[in-house]
Amino acid sequence: MRGPEVLARSVVGLVLAAAVAVPLFLVWRTPMVHARMAESGGWLPDALTARVGVPLHLRLTSDDVLHGFAVGKLDAPSVDVIPGKVTDVTLLFQVPGTYTFYCTRWCGVNHWRMRGTIEVAGEPSTATAAALPGQPLYAALGIDLDAPRDAAVVLAQKPLASLSKDQIRREFAQYATTDYYRTHAPTEVWQTLRGDPALPPMDETKAWEVTASIWRSNTTAQELADGERLFAQNCAACHGSRGAGDGVFAAELAAAPGSASEGTLAAAPMTQAPANLADPARMLAASPALLQGKILRGGMGTGMPSWGPILTEDQTWSIVAYLYTFQFEYH
Amino acid sequence: MSTLELTASARLKALLKNRYAQLAVLVLMLAGYAFAIVAGVVGSPVGSSNFSIVFVWIAWWAALILVAVPLLGRGWCSVCPIPIPGEWLQRGNVLGPHGRQPRWRGLRWPRQLRNIWLQSAAFLLLALFSIVLLTTPLVTAVVLGSMLVAATALGMVFQRRSFCRYLCPVGGFIGLYSQVAPVELRVKDKLICISCEGKPCYNGSARGYGCPWDVFPGGLSRNTYCGLCMECLRTCPHDNIAVNLRAFASDLNQPAGRLDEAFKSFVMLGSALIYSAVLLGPWGALKDAAYRIGSSAWFVYVVSFLVIICLVLPGLFALCASPGRDARAFRLRFSRLSSALIPLGLAAWIAFSLSFILTNGTYVLASLSDPLNLGWNLFGTSGLAWQPLLSAVLAPTQSLALTGGFVWSGTLAHKVASESRISSVPAVLYAGAVTLLLMRLLL
Amino acid sequence: MRIAPTPGGVQAGSSTRKRRFAWLLVVVAALLVAFAPFPTGMGAPPPIHRLISVQAGQYAYAPSELQVNLGDTVTIELASTDSVHGLYIDGYGYSVQADPGQVASLTFVADRPGSFRFRCNVTCGALHPFMIGKLSVGRDTTLLRSAGLTVLGVLGLLLIRRQDAVAGGVP
Repeated sequence: MRGPEVLARSVVGLVLAAAVAVPLFLVWRTPMVHARMAESGGWLPDALTARVGVPLHLRLTSDDVLHGFAVGKLDAPSVDVIPGKVTDVTLLFQVPGTYTFYCTRWCGVNHWRMRGTIEVAGEPSTATAAALPGQPLYAALGIDLDAPRDAAVVLAQKPLASLSKDQIRREFAQYATTDYYRTHAPTEVWQTLRGDPALPPMDETKAWEVTASIWRSNTTAQELADGERLFAQNCAACHGSRGAGDGVFAAELAAAPGSASEGTLAAAPMTQAPANLADPARMLAASPALLQGKILRGGMGTGMPSWGPILTEDQTWSIVAYLYTFQFEYH
Repeated sequence: MSTLELTASARLKALLKNRYAQLAVLVLMLAGYAFAIVAGVVGSPVGSSNFSIVFVWIAWWAALILVAVPLLGRGWCSVCPIPIPGEWLQRGNVLGPHGRQPRWRGLRWPRQLRNIWLQSAAFLLLALFSIVLLTTPLVTAVVLGSMLVAATALGMVFQRRSFCRYLCPVGGFIGLYSQVAPVELRVKDKLICISCEGKPCYNGSARGYGCPWDVFPGGLSRNTYCGLCMECLRTCPHDNIAVNLRAFASDLNQPAGRLDEAFKSFVMLGSALIYSAVLLGPWGALKDAAYRIGSSAWFVYVVSFLVIICLVLPGLFALCASPGRDARAFRLRFSRLSSALIPLGLAAWIAFSLSFILTNGTYVLASLSDPLNLGWNLFGTSGLAWQPLLSAVLAPTQSLALTGGFVWSGTLAHKVASESRISSVPAVLYAGAVTLLLMRLLL
Repeated sequence: MRIAPTPGGVQAGSSTRKRRFAWLLVVVAALLVAFAPFPTGMGAPPPIHRLISVQAGQYAYAPSELQVNLGDTVTIELASTDSVHGLYIDGYGYSVQADPGQVASLTFVADRPGSFRFRCNVTCGALHPFMIGKLSVGRDTTLLRSAGLTVLGVLGLLLIRRQDAVAGGVP
């Protein structure tokens, strides 16, 4: 074989081998976390490990639609995970334990099922590290989250919270504490107010106004704003922007088992229509502890996600406070 | 018609004959092709960010349909990497003939298949899956890989570039539309060819291989089947071959009158119409039907697609070619008249392609900086937001292309009809109706 | 294009002049169709404020064809039904994006006439580049002009054919 032919063949072989081997090597060498809709596998990988005090660098990319990434119970902002592009995120953990990471941009009816875990090993880095949360309130109170509720009231319009916080503190002191608010349903409070011999008699409407005012005194404008934002981001897609159970995924969730459309997982035939959170019959009979319990525990297969590993306690209370604005007029 | 011989320039001729230059280009193309296959397999499954989708269906397609075909005819074929590994194996060399050639099967391509019917079938097969092909990187990679394997396998069984000439789905329409281009390769003096001993341009010699496209250069009168590989430039002992600049669409003045080429004309025109409706239209149900392969909606789509292209369009045009009792004469009339639709078909594809190329061109820039979707930013453009380019210019350009294509086709139809002694009115009305439909769908 | 030779120079001269005149007529007509301004204000409806709700789901908009009048103030409320979608209007360049459960709205004045495609500008799956709808503002002048030029082309070609027939021997 002539010299030029040998040289040409060598160059050709090298160039082609490089064109194939180099990209394969680079892809193999670059660890990535892939985000996919739950129906296509969710997070890949979905179990990560880290150590306290050691930064965890993650490279995130989406394989289908726009997703988001955030870690529950960790004070880090969420990031978008963009199809075809790479987002870099660095996490630092102070407390060991199992953290849940989840998708923050709605990507389908099974969006909330997109979760993974980060096992963090090591010793807590500070003495004041957050303690493990205790038993949630509804469990301590023995509330049956699934018992049917009916407030059995008919209200012509939403009760107006006409009394100020100071007034409530002065005139209805024992009803104004946070503990009392959290452990009682509005209808209970309304009945107790009307039957309390220590209070001046009030008619039905007045009692509702006082109840609404008690509810308002247990929240702040900032908490309501947070609750509204969290509701819009996490709840409205199923429950509807006004909580009426008519969100964009409501129909899919309400579909009879066996008629699951292409977007739902085969393993979820028991999903049901999202609850109507604007229905006074159900909501006025629910205490904040019960609502918090529903949010934390989830729906046990009905399609309602369990938010326990995701939301902080403050976040759940702010959503609960916001939910009552569907029942009471605060301005 | 007057032509300007480009190879009169000794420098240009030397460059075209230079095997090292050609090999360098081909190796680069082949490396890019291989990289595109790899990227399609291991890159992001998101089509708009994947190198293989973006560089094949936006960048390469734009270069092909807007520049290579209208201006250089089969210019892409001259640098296409698909047949190259097969040809290297067939020849036993990567540079010029030297030493013993390996003995492969070397069969002649079967006579019944020496036409472009298979190419039309291959194109239609891909077209039925086009929406999945255009959007799924893995599917593009598989198709690219399959074409490479098929070309290589055919090269080891048959002589010359059989894949290119008789099977390649892209080659079918490149050949048809290359008749429009202002560049051609022809012999300078046919008398010299007549007295030439051995015809090394076709049979090969120590200086080069016989035409890989199975064309006798001495008889070349149209661009359709010459792949501009420049072998004959190297082998001709009489320096009788030239690459010329000439008027656009000169080849269409003598229509060949072949039925397979006529049918291809309708395949291209019909697919331009259907793609414009499905891909660029606001009808989600059509897109769904085209995408959900295997569903009943998709079968309806497939049947409609084939009926429009194989029955409706050619059928209506057949009525324009004055059907008569003499079947052979009618077939000839029909085929010749169909060639008049070529400028309109090319214009339709240009107008259609401009839309998605200008709309999605920014993906090309972004993909350049991160071709494997690993978070790189090689040229600083990976964060480039999607933004349609030249929106204001798009509709007027499409309008100009379609109107120009129609007038050209109409004029050609008039000429061919006169020569066939039939009225050109139906053909002109047909072309006008198709043009109006294209405008309604694209503008 | 060839015409059969005409007997006699005088007739040839007049047919050439006729042909030139015909071409001139066609060219002038083409320029008029392409560039002459449309008569405005003839029965043009007064601009109003329109609220249009558009649902976006893979991979189409509902409704996908919107019609407004020139000068209208248009508010598009975009509601995504499965994943995050966007709506970008070609030509105008305005866009809006909506997460499922959070309706987003875009308000603009439709001050440019014609036909404009609107597309999704948040990658939303495989067919994202083909998620397209059409907004028609007033009259689609580009389409009308193009169609007009095509019809003119047909007439021009028929005219040439007639001339050739007169000149000699073409059916």
